[in-house]
Amino acid sequence: MTRRLILLACSLCLLAGMAMAIPCDRDSDGTLTSSELATAILDSLDARQMGGAVEAPSPGDLRDAAFIYEHWDGRALTITDTSGQTTTLTRPIRRIALFNSDSLEMLRSIGLEPDRIVGVSKYALEDPIFYPEYQGKANLGSVWSPDYEQAAGIRPDAVFLYASISQSSCDEIEDTLSAIDPDIRFFRFDSFRPTVYADEVRTLGLLLGKREGAGRFLAFYGDATGSVAGVVDTIPVKDRIPVYLENWNDYKSAGKGSGYDEKIELAGGMNIFGDNPAEYPVVDPEAVISRNPDVIVKIVGAGETTFGGYGDDDISPFERVHRAISDRPVWNQMKAIRDGRVHIIHTDVIGGPEYFIGTAYFAKWFYPDRFPDLDPRAVHRQYLEEFQRLDYDPGKHGTFVYPA
Amino acid sequence: MTPRRSVTLCILIVLLAAPVTAANIERIVTSSGDGLDVTLVVTGIPVGGIVETLPDGCVWKETDHPADRTRLSGGKAAFAVIGEETIRYRVQGPQEAAGVFTGTWEDLLTGESGTVGAAGTHGPESSKTPVEAPGFLSVAALAALAVAYRRRCGR
Repeated sequence: MTRRLILLACSLCLLAGMAMAIPCDRDSDGTLTSSELATAILDSLDARQMGGAVEAPSPGDLRDAAFIYEHWDGRALTITDTSGQTTTLTRPIRRIALFNSDSLEMLRSIGLEPDRIVGVSKYALEDPIFYPEYQGKANLGSVWSPDYEQAAGIRPDAVFLYASISQSSCDEIEDTLSAIDPDIRFFRFDSFRPTVYADEVRTLGLLLGKREGAGRFLAFYGDATGSVAGVVDTIPVKDRIPVYLENWNDYKSAGKGSGYDEKIELAGGMNIFGDNPAEYPVVDPEAVISRNPDVIVKIVGAGETTFGGYGDDDISPFERVHRAISDRPVWNQMKAIRDGRVHIIHTDVIGGPEYFIGTAYFAKWFYPDRFPDLDPRAVHRQYLEEFQRLDYDPGKHGTFVYPA
Repeated sequence: MTPRRSVTLCILIVLLAAPVTAANIERIVTSSGDGLDVTLVVTGIPVGGIVETLPDGCVWKETDHPADRTRLSGGKAAFAVIGEETIRYRVQGPQEAAGVFTGTWEDLLTGESGTVGAAGTHGPESSKTPVEAPGFLSVAALAALAVAYRRRCGR
């Protein structure tokens, strides 16, 4: 019995070692050289097309080896995701399950082939206008209500989760799916936070062999954000425009260090509740009046204001929300209302991976004289056409901002 | 915007708008003395494999491809492609054999495969009607120029 157990343990160790080895690395030194790859290619061609009797790698091993040589310099890849978790890979990721729709959009930006994605969240499936190519993929549910049967059934190599949203739910998904299949790798990215956005694009590009696509997208992203930052940097802090931001729930604002606080700052605004320690505080209407903002921004597209965005061409709900803010009791005493500087923006272009389009709108609204040539809609159009590969003109369809 | 910036922007736009290069291999065959010089121009295949079938009556002579990336067996030549954009080889045989070469390629990164010369843009002169060639090195230089031109044009 003891001998059998030892044998079993040895077999398991051997299998684990094989799983960790780089395919076609003949000398097992951890580096796949060009010579080793060439031998593997020739052995494969010889066995399949030239009648040779050589021992050839399987087609899967050969393709994996080609990927590792081309994209990871022939070595195992160790990456750290946004949650700080480090993973070492000796095989490329070919079957991805995404609970994170924001990362799905980011993967499209770097040019990932849709056939490498085998399952998506229900939100992607509910949005056929923005995600037409993913309709028909397995429905994984959501982070809060995952469909484990579907997720395990599609046999993913990797599962993508959020890094900073619903961490306990994401932990539970990871624990449950790991128990079903210990070989699944888990990665956590946000794909909507400005501070980690560019790093996430770079990491995903490296992880998935899309460094070139990531570089192209980062050049575009750098231009879009740089054109705003270049001007904002010249505005003294004391001259920054006071801004009141409210999300889809009335009087729910953005506190210190929240994503929206950061986005106001990126556009050169001064968040009037930026000193509030709560991330999304519900504020007193009178506190808004007393802080007398120059600009009011209301975000719609969720909760009580589920309208607009890519699938909705009707601007009238935006008009109603705009009017309702101006009609709030005593708010006409505020500078923003008196000067007609109330703006409505849809969460599609400020809350997710398209946040840089929203901050371009913010900058234009905060400082119209300083950004006469900034055209956020043109940035939006280029993003959709060039990086999302969508035949969709935001000048003709959808409702994203009001007044336009 | 200054003219210089406009030009830079135009170049950037052209580069960014350039579609991903489709995988393809062209074959250029030219006569040389008592044999034929074959140049394979590889496009959009960073890692892959090629198997060329030599026509009857042709005998393998040499190649400029590294020895450890080339294998010969029974009238076939296999090449491992790892970053190369041209592969040149020479066979001894009749000039009429120029149009009888066949071959297949595989792109190991995309899984695509195809026939050598199937989507090529070279004219019939290059493969079906061999003419007196300027020699192996000149053909190689022409092929290299073609590759450089294609790179500059972003295609």
